Amino acid sequence: MDKTIYLDLELCVGCGACVVACMDQNDIYPEKGQPAFRRIYKVEGGEFPDASIQHLSAGCVHCEDSPCVIGCPTGAATRDDRTGAIVVNKTLCIGCHSCALACPFGVPRYDRDDKMQKCNLCIERVEVGLEPACVRVCPVRALKFESPNKLQELKESKFIGNIVNAVHRAATRK
Amino acid sequence: MKDVEKLLRGKIPGPDTGIEIRKSICTICDPTTQCGLDLYVKDGKIIKVEGSTEHPYSVGTLCAKGAASRQYVYSEDRLKTPLKRTGARGSGKFEPISWDEALDAIAAKFNEIKKQNGPESVAFFSGYTKYFRPYLKRLAHSFSSPNYLTESSTCHQAMAMAQKLTFGLPGGPDLKNTQCLLVWSANPFYSNPGNARAILKGKERGMTLIVVDPRQTPTTALADLHLQVRPGSDGALALAMANVIINENLYDHDFVSSHTYGFEEYRQYVQQFTPERGEEMTGVPADKITRAARMYASVKPAAIMPSASPVVHHTNGVQNYRAVFALVGLTGNYDIPGGNFVVPPSFIHIPGLIPTREHEFIQCKPWSEMAPRIGADRFPVWLDVVDEEAQAMHLPFQIRSGKPYPIKALIGFGMNYRMWPDSNGLLEAVKKLDFFVNVDIFMTDTCKHADIVLPACTSVERSELRCYPMGYIIFTQPAISPLYDSRSDVEIIYELASRLGLKDPLFEAGYEAGVDWILEPSGLSVAELKKYPGGMFVPNPMKLPEKKYLKNGFKTPSGKMEFKSKVLEKYGEKPGFEALPVYTPPKHSRESTPELAQEFPFILNTGSRLPMYVHTRTFRLSWTNSLRPNHPAADINPTDAARLGMKQDDAIRISTPKGAIVVKANLTQMVQPGVIHMYHGHSDADVNVLFEGDYLDPLSGYPGFKSALCKIEKV
Repeated sequence: MDKTIYLDLELCVGCGACVVACMDQNDIYPEKGQPAFRRIYKVEGGEFPDASIQHLSAGCVHCEDSPCVIGCPTGAATRDDRTGAIVVNKTLCIGCHSCALACPFGVPRYDRDDKMQKCNLCIERVEVGLEPACVRVCPVRALKFESPNKLQELKESKFIGNIVNAVHRAATRK
Repeated sequence: MKDVEKLLRGKIPGPDTGIEIRKSICTICDPTTQCGLDLYVKDGKIIKVEGSTEHPYSVGTLCAKGAASRQYVYSEDRLKTPLKRTGARGSGKFEPISWDEALDAIAAKFNEIKKQNGPESVAFFSGYTKYFRPYLKRLAHSFSSPNYLTESSTCHQAMAMAQKLTFGLPGGPDLKNTQCLLVWSANPFYSNPGNARAILKGKERGMTLIVVDPRQTPTTALADLHLQVRPGSDGALALAMANVIINENLYDHDFVSSHTYGFEEYRQYVQQFTPERGEEMTGVPADKITRAARMYASVKPAAIMPSASPVVHHTNGVQNYRAVFALVGLTGNYDIPGGNFVVPPSFIHIPGLIPTREHEFIQCKPWSEMAPRIGADRFPVWLDVVDEEAQAMHLPFQIRSGKPYPIKALIGFGMNYRMWPDSNGLLEAVKKLDFFVNVDIFMTDTCKHADIVLPACTSVERSELRCYPMGYIIFTQPAISPLYDSRSDVEIIYELASRLGLKDPLFEAGYEAGVDWILEPSGLSVAELKKYPGGMFVPNPMKLPEKKYLKNGFKTPSGKMEFKSKVLEKYGEKPGFEALPVYTPPKHSRESTPELAQEFPFILNTGSRLPMYVHTRTFRLSWTNSLRPNHPAADINPTDAARLGMKQDDAIRISTPKGAIVVKANLTQMVQPGVIHMYHGHSDADVNVLFEGDYLDPLSGYPGFKSALCKIEKV
């Protein structure tokens, strides 16, 4: 698998830009009963004055073992070999909701025709070298589209940066 | 599937798909935040939007509002033609009329009122957006009316007043170079993503972050210290920090002794604000106050990031912010790199690192040659330090009283009557006018009360000039033609100038010639800017020295930074006008009105930004609305909710002595116990009806939207 959508939980503020950009890219209109491919969640913990609030943006993770693909009786859900995206062919979908039962993350949604709807990784964009719309829009770059190793590299350099800053602060205090 | 079909499905631009990228900017919020837009246009229609990667403010990103631009542009609520009222005011009954008929009718009525009552009886108001403001202000003054009013009567100006009273010239935080940022009640993650990104970058390079905010926000979550004040007690917190900084000898002796006025009295005044007393008054633990004061005073350079409205939306707002800005001088962080650095504004309040003739353009007639501005008697300090405009909060009072002269007509550009406290009172006053015109993109609640409604287009359908603090400038060109029979606000203003017979040469020369005239000192021109549809860096950005006061002094009466304001000294210690930044609790509070607080035990705090809205501007879009499905809702701390037996989404009534609204309960730790937060502007639950029209800061005229008293009950 090449690049994947990754969310940096430390950065996500739940602004919803990714949700809207996805709707713009994919012509999703909530007023027509069309479900969003991304959703924002807020998790609160603790009590005043020590409360904390965590936001996150969730969508299909295009997982490797893809239970939705295995569970789909008509072959509507398939994996695209080149991008690793799990895509749905709506003409083959019979609305049986097997994918809903199979998916451990609660991703599959259904429109008014009862056809499965979900993120397709903006596969047409990815194929021509563009980022998925949700990643491109993110105002704080919490969403990233990278290979797993590149993501680890980014994480590591951030960690090293923190050490450098701490050393620098200690040195200037003397 | 054929490749082209696939590319079309992915909205991939190129000759195969016929999808072209055109450049513009988003002006759904304003200013400094005009993010660059890449508009994907096919057959003259926008099919998708994206942030422009070359734009140095937005760097390819957009917020939820800007990402919803396509729905904004193509909303079914768009006004399509000029309209003339046929039913009663507010009935929403209109008939379409031609532009000629509408503009001639407006010009004839304004000139008739000018003849009978004087030009000052016609008022000109600007809501959002701001690009047309220089031309609207010139229109008002060219017509000889002093009554150019804007939404800055509730936003930004009072913060600037506090800075001007202290330093003469405001200094903004130098985010790039600061080592310690003290954010005083702002949450740029929801209101200014560029500043949010600057904070994240600062954190990466080890910047210390202190955040004062009554709420829990994404900004407070990043803070090394979060001082969660009770709303309206900011002044007491700043004075307690000053107490620590002075008594622990952490202040800048050189700056204080050479460049300040009134330090000794200020030093004596802050003695009563010990950290322990500060804790009682603000709810912030004494040790946190002490730690914040030490951090801010000892990490150099340090900058304060103020907010445009939260701190000044209190009846004691300007005095509170004066106490905050005094810390900048006290620690010697004024006009230094990494501190609060002074950059002169170039255009519409934005320092764009170029000289312009904006001021000469907009103040085409001196104030002395016109009648006194609306609010002149009531808010004398506004007159002392605010040069741009009249104080719109006094508008309903003057319409009702007719004193010192009557207001007969009003033209609003994007006016929203729900901006005023006692919003229904403002609406009743507007109904008393002989003539009311509103220009807007959409058929709003305010438009429904107008005699004539004019359809404006959005930013992507017009041309506008904008500059940015990093020395970037753009003169946009329409990405699509104006929809329906809409026109740009500027075109409407220029047409009115002509039909009013103003004989103003700069109006007669046309819009682009006016922009050229404003830009003349910079060496830039519209023709040059048009070569760069996505904008350009200015060729010779101004290089500004630090400590400009060494050469020019401070633009205050004493020529120094003033702990004790000489402007305010002349008001003789009238309550609220004290020359020192004296702390007085909010007009309605546990401290000021204990009896009222018995019946109304909660602090009502309103209007803090949500990420998907800016005021009401994206309320009508299903994309942004889908992010907040359960509104209108008030935020309540889960501890308070449990005590009162309230659950998520229960219907609750919020009441003040003025009125009541029914909303849903939204249980969240975002608000502290004892505080109810409510977002503003909802047609079906307008929280501003709960405020008296005169619940105002006596210095700025700003409404106390962020702290009144209320009670809540289950319905």
